[in-house]
Amino acid sequence: MDAGRHPLIEVITNAEVVDCQGDPGNFEVTIHKNPRFVHEDLCVACGQCVDACPQVGGNEFDMGLKARKAIYRPYPQSVPGAYVVDPEACLNFMGFLDDKQRRRLEMIQKLKLKKDPEYTPNILVCGHCMDNCDVDAIDFDMKGEDIHKDVGAVLVAVGFREFDARKLGNYGYGRLPNVVTSLELERMLTAGGVTNGHVVRPSDMKTPKSMVFIQCVGARGEGGRPYCSRFCCMNAVKDSMMIRQHQPEVEDITILYTDLRAFGKGFDDFLQRSYDTHSAEYVRGRPAKVDHIPEDDTLEVFVEDTLGHEQRRIKTDLVVLSVAAAPNDGAIELAELMGIETDQYGFIAKKDPAISAVESTREGIYVCGSASGPQIIPDCVAQASATAVRAQLFLTGHRIEEEEEHMDAEPMELTGPPRVGVMVCHCGVNIGGVLDVDQLVEYASTIPDVVVAQPNVFACSSAGQDELVEMIEEYDLNRVVVAACTPRTHEPVFQETLSRIGFNPYLLEMANIRDQCSWVHSDQPELAQEKAKTLIRMSVARARNLQPLIREKVPMTRSALVIGGGIAGIQAATDLAVQGFPVTLVEKDDHLGGRLARPNLDLLYPNLRSAQEVLDEKIEILNRTDARVLLSTEVESMTGYVGSFEATFKGQANETASFGAVIISTGADLFEPDGLFCYGEMDNVITSAQLEEMFCEGRDLSLGGSAPSSASFILCVGSRDPEGFTGCSRYCCPTAIKQAMELHRKGIDTTVFYRDIRTVSKGAEEMYRQARGEGVLFVRIPPGSQPEVVGGKRAEAVRCFDDLLGRHLEVPTDLVVLSVGMRPGQPETENFQEMLKVPVGTDGFLMELHGELAPVETAVEGVMLAGTVQGPKDIVDTVAQASAAAAKASIFLAFDKVKIDPTVATVDENKCRGCGKCVDICDFHAPELVEIAPKLFVARINASMCKGCGTCASWCPTGAIIARHFTDRQVHAMIDAFFG
Amino acid sequence: MATKDKNSWDPEIVVFACNWCSYAGADTAGVSRIQHQPHFRMIRVMCSGRIQPAFVLRAFERGADGVLVSGCHIGECHYIFGNERAIEQFEKTMSIVKMLGIEEQRLRLEWISSAEGARFAEVINEFTEQIRELGPSPFGRKRSPAKAGKGVAG
Repeated sequence: MDAGRHPLIEVITNAEVVDCQGDPGNFEVTIHKNPRFVHEDLCVACGQCVDACPQVGGNEFDMGLKARKAIYRPYPQSVPGAYVVDPEACLNFMGFLDDKQRRRLEMIQKLKLKKDPEYTPNILVCGHCMDNCDVDAIDFDMKGEDIHKDVGAVLVAVGFREFDARKLGNYGYGRLPNVVTSLELERMLTAGGVTNGHVVRPSDMKTPKSMVFIQCVGARGEGGRPYCSRFCCMNAVKDSMMIRQHQPEVEDITILYTDLRAFGKGFDDFLQRSYDTHSAEYVRGRPAKVDHIPEDDTLEVFVEDTLGHEQRRIKTDLVVLSVAAAPNDGAIELAELMGIETDQYGFIAKKDPAISAVESTREGIYVCGSASGPQIIPDCVAQASATAVRAQLFLTGHRIEEEEEHMDAEPMELTGPPRVGVMVCHCGVNIGGVLDVDQLVEYASTIPDVVVAQPNVFACSSAGQDELVEMIEEYDLNRVVVAACTPRTHEPVFQETLSRIGFNPYLLEMANIRDQCSWVHSDQPELAQEKAKTLIRMSVARARNLQPLIREKVPMTRSALVIGGGIAGIQAATDLAVQGFPVTLVEKDDHLGGRLARPNLDLLYPNLRSAQEVLDEKIEILNRTDARVLLSTEVESMTGYVGSFEATFKGQANETASFGAVIISTGADLFEPDGLFCYGEMDNVITSAQLEEMFCEGRDLSLGGSAPSSASFILCVGSRDPEGFTGCSRYCCPTAIKQAMELHRKGIDTTVFYRDIRTVSKGAEEMYRQARGEGVLFVRIPPGSQPEVVGGKRAEAVRCFDDLLGRHLEVPTDLVVLSVGMRPGQPETENFQEMLKVPVGTDGFLMELHGELAPVETAVEGVMLAGTVQGPKDIVDTVAQASAAAAKASIFLAFDKVKIDPTVATVDENKCRGCGKCVDICDFHAPELVEIAPKLFVARINASMCKGCGTCASWCPTGAIIARHFTDRQVHAMIDAFFG
Repeated sequence: MATKDKNSWDPEIVVFACNWCSYAGADTAGVSRIQHQPHFRMIRVMCSGRIQPAFVLRAFERGADGVLVSGCHIGECHYIFGNERAIEQFEKTMSIVKMLGIEEQRLRLEWISSAEGARFAEVINEFTEQIRELGPSPFGRKRSPAKAGKGVAG
């Protein structure tokens, strides 16, 4: 929605790229826009055409589970909001007609043409939608067109499509109605979806008593696709929890899995909740087939339970196939005409799988999201921001210095007692068809302080907006109430109109008589009319008490501070510096590189490039910029807020400087396994980090004994630990496999002891298969148990229970490698929590603003996170996040002032007694106590830090805090007006 | 008939909703055209944490038969922990409400996400029914016979 409304974003839908010429910085792109048959600029999305349309087509968005009309909106929140005609289904298109109908139509056309030579042969056999469109937005003469665009860079975000489960005949999808895909289930579970959030069996629309999820359908080897689809495990876990919560009638849910890949931040905790609440029975096994039992219309799933060691036939009502992500239709063709490569599956290839976050194989073209392979949402969002910062490279000189400013006129003088104008919108029949608008207008004009009330057919149309402006000017209004739809979508529309004429936009109030009245009470129109009257009365009451608010600006120091010079910090600093922003990169060591620098890391998976080589390339690019790098320097203290953070450094550089935005990229620590698995007691028990160091330095692996002929890896050391860090460290599985293969190739027999193999990153699953193929042994340890290292002075064997064989094993070994997980970096994490008030999550890592939608921002505006300081991740994801953090920082740095939303809290210092309650409860640390006279404290709220939730106002014992735009007076006035 | 009495009277319910979840959930009910009882009026604030005891008490004082406080599900608050603060405020409010001799069933706290249009409608229907069962609030305003006649039965 924000993208659709942004003045600098042009959204062209129903379109495809047909040609791309030129070079990075100067691409000429040709876009073919298919006709929508509805003028986007005219359509007001009233929906009358849909009601009129007699023709029903399949609905792609609801996976064909629900029908839709031939003129439709793909889904309620779609952008643009205008309707679109489906030529496949519409009666006006010849293609839809059968031969007989077409012949008849052609005859009619000929006859008409004889009578009227002007007649256009695009005959309308139906036209009901046009007849019912009040704004004449529907146009069947609309033709497809080619649009030429000169662009600097291209971002490819074409997503994925679901794997066609019909290809796996043994599961019966497409043949058995009660075998559905996970996406079909998702449409059922959506509250506004096909079945209003209830799971049903498509065969009889009854609630299933039992369900079976089959994981990895079309992934990890099935259907010829070896990769892991990344999101399906957590999706099945989530679905099972949602269903058990909302529909207790679903008694049994079984999830058939191979490994449970809960690799993301907080995912393991979520999985644990599923175990604790018994939302599903987890059975490890891949079913052979799904059969239909006609007697009672149920399904039977044949599966070998590889942990229970038995063949099972699970009888169930509904089977859900967790289908993998496949390259989207047309992705290969698109790649071809863009001149970029695809991988062996048809996803867009990245330049270097070990390090490239978003680079395609061609400069100037970047890829984000699942277009390059399956992704989870937070990674998609981070990559999207990363592509944006890369594109900036080619757009410099186009940066917008002063936003929308020119659009605002001189503020109007709005003083004196309230003069309220009310506009009541018909919204076509949406409101007018249920409510008596004229009577509402008449009623509104009787409310005190209302000087004028007028009806409008479509208040949000450009004509409607003009009438609103005329009304304000003619009646000299200083408050406006628009009784129409929801302020959540339309308040910005009206506010913009008001700003344009200099009318303070905060003097507008909307009464939601459509979404929350005519649409939901159309079965009781009389009561709906009463409700609409009250809503208007309440809105007028609030409007009377509205105050004009000014969007203030605070100065922005246009330079950024990046703390921590590992790969994340290097990337973020480079991205900002190449855009021309002054950047200071602070590193506490005497060299850059963090964990990638020698001797920490030898080779990178999956393509075994040298870490140092990759790092040197990155540092060289950084060195070519004007970024200021301070080595052997730490941040000693820091204060301030967005626009003006003040940092004091100590170490080689001792100084204080101010910055507009801050990126924290101080990384994580590695777990120290002291005392575990005889680490520290036996010479040949080492950590994965130590092994990497030995590889790096080319040391022999004898560790005081003879050269090893066998080696064991123990995974999840210090990760997924109920007593310690409960999460997954994400990087260890592929790293251990890479290391195991290296040892194996040296002739050392290698065994990996694991709990789940979580090779989710690109190319990692393939590497896992290769390792198995080459003879690396993998032994699965059951949950809750641990392998035991046995021996005397040196480790001699690893003892464990093999979950898959179902018996105890003792594997002789000359070397034990503990794959250690990550820990929040200390003392940095605590320092930032203290100095900058960045919240820390339950896992101890610094917390992002939103797990999915804002993965690099924090609760503190102007402070971004990059890399493992936010939680464990591998190098590619770290680089993506670093670029995303740079993108977010550049949004602040692009302007010399930062606009502050005026709908924040303020303090009436005369009423404040300095109790500090507000300071305690604000999660954004906006209020602080200030000593205005000896021992006399009052709270002051920093508008730059306040998010405007109003919680402090609700807690203030003296009523000193005013939540602007939602003041006590305004709310009380609304309550009183309800009963007035 | 007792049921007839109940139906001939329409409760008046105030719903406080946060902008991001529960108000949006009510909009979603609208977009999906999910019909529900019309006897409530919504007051939008930015966060459920804003809803202070005084708002609820004023509503009861002016004659509300029921008050519903609603916000985002725990863990989904737009302002991180605003809804958890709302719980504390709600508990305070509830103890005052009880002290005033108002039945505790007249005040309710619900979490409704922006996607849960159907759930919003369910909550409204169910709460309306509950208030109808309780009958007019002891602080309820005397309604004129003409108005009382305008019920669903009428």
